[in-house]
Amino acid sequence: MEMKFLKRAWFMAASVWLASVILSSALMAQGVDASMLRNPPADSWPTYHGDYSGRRHSRLTQISRANVGDLALAWAFQTGQASTLKSSPLLVNGILYFTVPENIWAVDARSGHLIWHYTNPPTKGDHIGNRGVGMYKEWLYFLIPDGHLLCLDARNGHVLWKVEVADVNKGYWTTMAPLVVGDHVIIGVSGDFDNLPGYLRAIDPETGKTQWQWDSTPPAGTPKTATGGMTWMTGTYDPKLNLIYWGTGNPTPVLNGATRPGDNLYTCSIVAVDPDTGKLAWAFQVSPHDTHDWDAVEIPVLVDGEFHGQPRKMLMQASRNGYFVVVDRTNGKDLLSVPYGPVNWSLGIDKDGHPIPNPAKEPAPDGRLIAPDEGGLTNYRSPSFDPQTGLFIVDAHPSYSLYFAKAADGNYGWAGADYGLWGNGVIEAIDYKTGEIRWSHEGGRSGDGAGVLTTDSGLTFTGDEYGNMLALDTRTGKTLWHAGTGAGMQSSPITYELDGRQYVVTGSGSVLFAWALPLHSAEKSEALKKTASH
Amino acid sequence: MKKLQAIVFAVILGTIFCQSRPAAMYAVAAQNSATNKPSENSAAQTGTTQSSGHTEEAHPSYSRPDSASVDPSEQAKLGGALFQQNCAFCHGRDAAGGETGPDLMRSKLVAQDVAGDKIAEVLRQGRPEKGMPPFTFSATEVAELVAFIHEQRSQAKLHNGSRRGVDVADLQTGNVAAGKQYFNGAGGCAFCHSPTGDLAGIASRYEGLELEERMLYPDDAKSTVTVTLPSGKTLKGTLAYLDEFTVGLRDANGMYHSWPVNSVRYSVASPVEAHVALFPKYTDADIHNLMAYLQTLR
Repeated sequence: MEMKFLKRAWFMAASVWLASVILSSALMAQGVDASMLRNPPADSWPTYHGDYSGRRHSRLTQISRANVGDLALAWAFQTGQASTLKSSPLLVNGILYFTVPENIWAVDARSGHLIWHYTNPPTKGDHIGNRGVGMYKEWLYFLIPDGHLLCLDARNGHVLWKVEVADVNKGYWTTMAPLVVGDHVIIGVSGDFDNLPGYLRAIDPETGKTQWQWDSTPPAGTPKTATGGMTWMTGTYDPKLNLIYWGTGNPTPVLNGATRPGDNLYTCSIVAVDPDTGKLAWAFQVSPHDTHDWDAVEIPVLVDGEFHGQPRKMLMQASRNGYFVVVDRTNGKDLLSVPYGPVNWSLGIDKDGHPIPNPAKEPAPDGRLIAPDEGGLTNYRSPSFDPQTGLFIVDAHPSYSLYFAKAADGNYGWAGADYGLWGNGVIEAIDYKTGEIRWSHEGGRSGDGAGVLTTDSGLTFTGDEYGNMLALDTRTGKTLWHAGTGAGMQSSPITYELDGRQYVVTGSGSVLFAWALPLHSAEKSEALKKTASH
Repeated sequence: MKKLQAIVFAVILGTIFCQSRPAAMYAVAAQNSATNKPSENSAAQTGTTQSSGHTEEAHPSYSRPDSASVDPSEQAKLGGALFQQNCAFCHGRDAAGGETGPDLMRSKLVAQDVAGDKIAEVLRQGRPEKGMPPFTFSATEVAELVAFIHEQRSQAKLHNGSRRGVDVADLQTGNVAAGKQYFNGAGGCAFCHSPTGDLAGIASRYEGLELEERMLYPDDAKSTVTVTLPSGKTLKGTLAYLDEFTVGLRDANGMYHSWPVNSVRYSVASPVEAHVALFPKYTDADIHNLMAYLQTLR
């Protein structure tokens, strides 16, 4: 009897313990898994672009054209640093993770209060910016300027391991937000001041060991070839085709093309690579034989849809050289290549859709007038694809500049000089089927611009040159709401919904802002949605 | 018809969006504080994580030699490290020009600088109109950067031919007669400018790349704005600010005034926009010829 009772008590206790273990592990499952990355829930933003497609489009609709006029500050977080925020925060389990070079902050997404802050000791390498972290399970992956990848515990910011992925002493530096695909942490590198090959590398998320490396160009010193093809922006991924898509940077020497005749593959290209093996599936070169520093690293946006009557798996890029390109992402065949602003350096398009560089527009000793300028018709700030209108909305920068190169400039690194003359910021809405600009919204002089986010409620969030954050009507480009933030938005907005409230998060200067409807407006919006759905 | 609409639109936009300094667009301008970036010889080797509910600053501790006892080459070396982290992206690793930033070796301001009396000010204030942010370097760090820049400059002088940049001699490929013809004809320059009026002696005031840049787009040109208030009162002044929400002017007394754009009527006169309209029309030869002609106006 007693024995039986004890047995039962033991069994009960064990059950309670087991249940609590299961429960707590469910509660403790703070991390990112493959299904979250493939289909991110509304209360998450688990990777640089929000999802693998790079569309930077959200299905959230609480903030709508009707109520965006009420949008207000929910909270702001001051980094206290002079470094500008260029990262896209990740949001996982109610915590935002965002960066500037050598710094990560973990911040409560509901209140904006600090959970932890990691500061790396000062490193060598260019501190031009940092785009953010990647996340796998409960670990964060962070590149510091000197070519090292750190793995940190997302719960507390403790460093678990650190590996070198690029040699700072050769001239590489690292800024990009790693992309997690399966059990691969995929990283890219920067470095334009030396003749170095760019590459992609897959790192084992648990051990930091290199799994594969794909090189953009032959090794330095290979006769009559270019180096370069840096991989400094985060790519995208198609799980069904199991291909990652990545833009590669300009060739080196940068402005002097004499020592690197030909197209200089695979610089200024969009490449499709198998994430498990690092093998190249196809490549589409957006700027053959570039001599103007026009990296083709801008976001390769993946869209499934109709193109001239046929269902297509497409990849779209508004490239720095001024061309908007649409390619079939199963095979890299060009569907459309068309300028989306002033372009004066090409002789047109070849039969495969590549722009043909005009040799007369290569940098010269007495200067060449070139459009766009070196920053390009767009740069690293994300565009957005809105599926409802079929508009590809991009921060464009019509501009003119002078490019010089002479024998005395040599054939190493920059190898020339260029000077911007004039530029203008414009948010452009491109019809992906024709390249036609359906609307453009003036952003003001200079042209730093801001990243773009669209939502299913027909809103476009972006910023202008003066530090205004803007909410535009996606159909027309008309301003519906704005707020001065005191500095230009050097990053791209994100959005998420927590506790039934939609937030839009933007970084301007060194401050992260979270915008939301006032609680009563948010509740009203939800009530209206329920009524509408009944 | 469509083209005409586009031109009219462009002219209107040009008239509306006119700021005193446009060009420096630099989509990738570097911003970094030195305050938070001690130099390479920092003792700290591991990262610091703070777990707390407040944003206390966490600067790794490091020590610097007493500035009084600093040896100049050591100072330049420390400055070099700071330069690589914070300045090199735009100004080049050797300060001779990089992505978007000018060649400091050819900078007049650097040439005139004595022990940082001019450079320090630029570092503190930045040149926001040209895309350069202000930096919050300590006095020691400023001295180190200045030492580095001057050291680079003295080295550059030793290897003059190998520097990147544009010499006056590079910009002599044009034809004076063709330039004069373009000035009076196709370029339409003579509508606003005169070789004996505003441009008299222009080539004595500016030369080389600076002259050519000003010729193509004089980025300090001012626009004027006339604002009509609901009362019917009219104010005229130099356009000081204009975005899609606010218009600001500076009146004859130097006072700044601003209004929400939807509460007033305003019109901007921006003759410099004629330069923008020429960009798509120039051939490179037009530019070189025009440059040859302007260089005769001494």
